[in-house]
Amino acid sequence: MQLASVATPTRPTQQANERGGEPVKQPVDIFNPTEEHRHLRETARKFGESVLGPQASKRDLEESFDPGLFARFGSELGLFGLTVSADHGGVGLDSTAAVIVHEEFSRFDPATTLSYLAHEVLFVNNFYHSADAAQRDRYLDKVLSGEWIAGMAMTEPEAGTDVLGMRTTAQRKGDRYVMNGTKQFITNGPYGRVFLVYARTGPGRRDISSFVVESGFKGFSVGKKETKMGMRGSPTSCLVFEDMEVPEENRIGAEGGALVHMMRNLEIERLTLAAQSVGIALRCCEEMTRYATQQRKAFGKRLIEFGQIQQMVAESHAHTMAARALVYTVAQSISPGRRESLGAASAKLVATGVGERVARAAIQVFGGYGYLRDYPVERMLRDAILLSIGGGTNEAMQKNISGDLSDMYG
Amino acid sequence: MKVLVPLKRVADPDNANKVKVTADGKKVETTGLEWKPNPFDEYAVETALRLTEDGTKPKTRAGEVVVVTFGPKECEITLRAMLATGADRAIRVEAEDDQLDGWLVARALKKLVEQEKPDLVLLGKQAVDGDTNQVGQILAELLGWPMATSAAMIKEDGEALLVGREVDGGVINLKVRLPAVVTVDLRIVAPASVYSKLTKADFKYNEGVRFAPLPAIMQAKKKPMAVLKLADLATDTALRIQYPRFEPPKGRAAGKKVKDVAELVDKLKNEAKVL
Ligand SMILES: Cc1cc2nc3c(=O)[nH]c(=O)nc-3n(C[C@H](O)[C@H](O)[C@H](O)COP(=O)(O)OP(=O)(O)OC[C@H]3O[C@@H](n4cnc5c(N)ncnc54)[C@H](O)[C@@H]3O)c2cc1C
Repeated sequence: MQLASVATPTRPTQQANERGGEPVKQPVDIFNPTEEHRHLRETARKFGESVLGPQASKRDLEESFDPGLFARFGSELGLFGLTVSADHGGVGLDSTAAVIVHEEFSRFDPATTLSYLAHEVLFVNNFYHSADAAQRDRYLDKVLSGEWIAGMAMTEPEAGTDVLGMRTTAQRKGDRYVMNGTKQFITNGPYGRVFLVYARTGPGRRDISSFVVESGFKGFSVGKKETKMGMRGSPTSCLVFEDMEVPEENRIGAEGGALVHMMRNLEIERLTLAAQSVGIALRCCEEMTRYATQQRKAFGKRLIEFGQIQQMVAESHAHTMAARALVYTVAQSISPGRRESLGAASAKLVATGVGERVARAAIQVFGGYGYLRDYPVERMLRDAILLSIGGGTNEAMQKNISGDLSDMYG
Repeated sequence: MKVLVPLKRVADPDNANKVKVTADGKKVETTGLEWKPNPFDEYAVETALRLTEDGTKPKTRAGEVVVVTFGPKECEITLRAMLATGADRAIRVEAEDDQLDGWLVARALKKLVEQEKPDLVLLGKQAVDGDTNQVGQILAELLGWPMATSAAMIKEDGEALLVGREVDGGVINLKVRLPAVVTVDLRIVAPASVYSKLTKADFKYNEGVRFAPLPAIMQAKKKPMAVLKLADLATDTALRIQYPRFEPPKGRAAGKKVKDVAELVDKLKNEAKVL
């Protein structure tokens, strides 16, 4: 199978007849379970290749973000609200659809894809499944059209993995809350009009509530844009709340109910981040294979004829196939009503490791050229590393997997 | 305006080097290659959509685009991709690829045109598999309609189309009265190449073929897809074009290195005889 193909090409009956045997059964295509998924992949692939790809390196070098391009995800492609029901202006698709878009976009531009993820998965998916009808009425249209860019703020300067260690507070005052604190590393921070913010509303460690915060609220400010190793086309900054007033109707769900929202969203977040790693790995496999088979010769031979190069190319290909199969398999069992924390953590742990290793191998196959900004593989490695940190570090995944396993066996 | 766009799928043109000829030379082997819409046919669909809308409001249709293909059931994926891109209706004429040639397809299309009564039949200038470049021309002849081939520019002008054809050394501008047959070339999907009477002259499209938006992908199955039998459109289905044998093209011979310009000129003059 060619990893890069849109659909696994099959003409089984014809092949079987030519051999004079029984018709081979059409294999289940977990990567494109329906024709709609396949058309979605084609749209994402074409847009990635012809629109995201050509400028990705420029955005990386300049550390710039293009809001006009971002808006096209909504206005032109209708890619916001994949998991929002069609009755509410969304698409009504599933986790597999989300995985497809993140994988295809990441083959060309992982950074812009991360900004898409922060909007679509961290905000829209979470907000939609947790908000009430009035809140949906007020915000859903604007984020589904892409008119407003959104994000999610959980991490703080002194609390990342240790989420419950967060210190931002929201104190009730009549029909509003007064919020104080700082959120760190917030994707889309400098461009977002609306954020889902977690803040403490009581003395207990779990007394955390979710709020919709608009950048126009008095007391809201954005810190300086961070300078990053990778994912440079995705703007990151801290958000500062100083006596910021948040109307009560902007609290999502019950007071102290945020952990439910966090948990419910966690798996699709991990899965789509894993899908980004798969996209990076696919691209790097393609680049290194083409380079080794078609472009570079040494000692009068093509690179692919050297055993050590074969090892890098073959292992990259095999590990990418394995990670991809895991991610798509887990995708089938994750929906708002169904959780699979062990699967999602495993998918993220495996795929992010593969993404990093395959990007690194690609650089090695390219030799000195792989180290230059002229080729995409060094950018892919810098981008890949973030995926082992953001949305829960790989150590956190190991901790969760071990926790789940010890519950099952203990 | 009502536009009929006949189209076909081809074995992935980006991987044309993987196309093999079977050992007996009887067939072109495309197993393992993905089917893709013929690129020129995609340009024809994009052109048809541009001619049936106001470029500033592409979600409101102002005309009808009917896509038609000849082939087995799996070709419906290609048709639905076009419905998702914006076409309004699809027709599949049941046939196997090896039961078809350009002459038969053109005759069947003539019958279909008589039934559908489009104002315009838009085709790709050629399919990138056989590269025969003939269906549009035969169809126009059979219909007795005006024709323009390899269009790079089309502007709607009352009951006619202004068509720009790129030829060696310039552009030929033609005015064709509708109904007509037009085949399109690559440049037709440039930003300022197609204008319906609704689209303002200063409007610019995005370069290339538009993307199928996800909401339209989800709606595509709800758009009408008719299935016809080849025999309903053509009584004589015997093939005129026979392919006795296929051979892969010869590999290119290695080039020659020259020391300087003088030697190059000499070789071009005396060996290649092109100067
Ligand atoms: C580019 C970028 C974008 C981001 N976008 C967002 C965003 O949009 N919204 C948001 O809320 N956050 C965002 N983050 C934050 C991200 O989720 C956190 O960085 C991540 O969760 C890790 O937290 P930390 O950085 O505080 O590291 P720490 O939690 O301080 O971890 C430091 C190290 O200690 C390890 N460690 C911590 N606890 C344990 C433990 N119990 N056992 C073993 N090892 C442990 C970690 O794995 C890590 O190796 C983003 C981060 C980056 C870099």
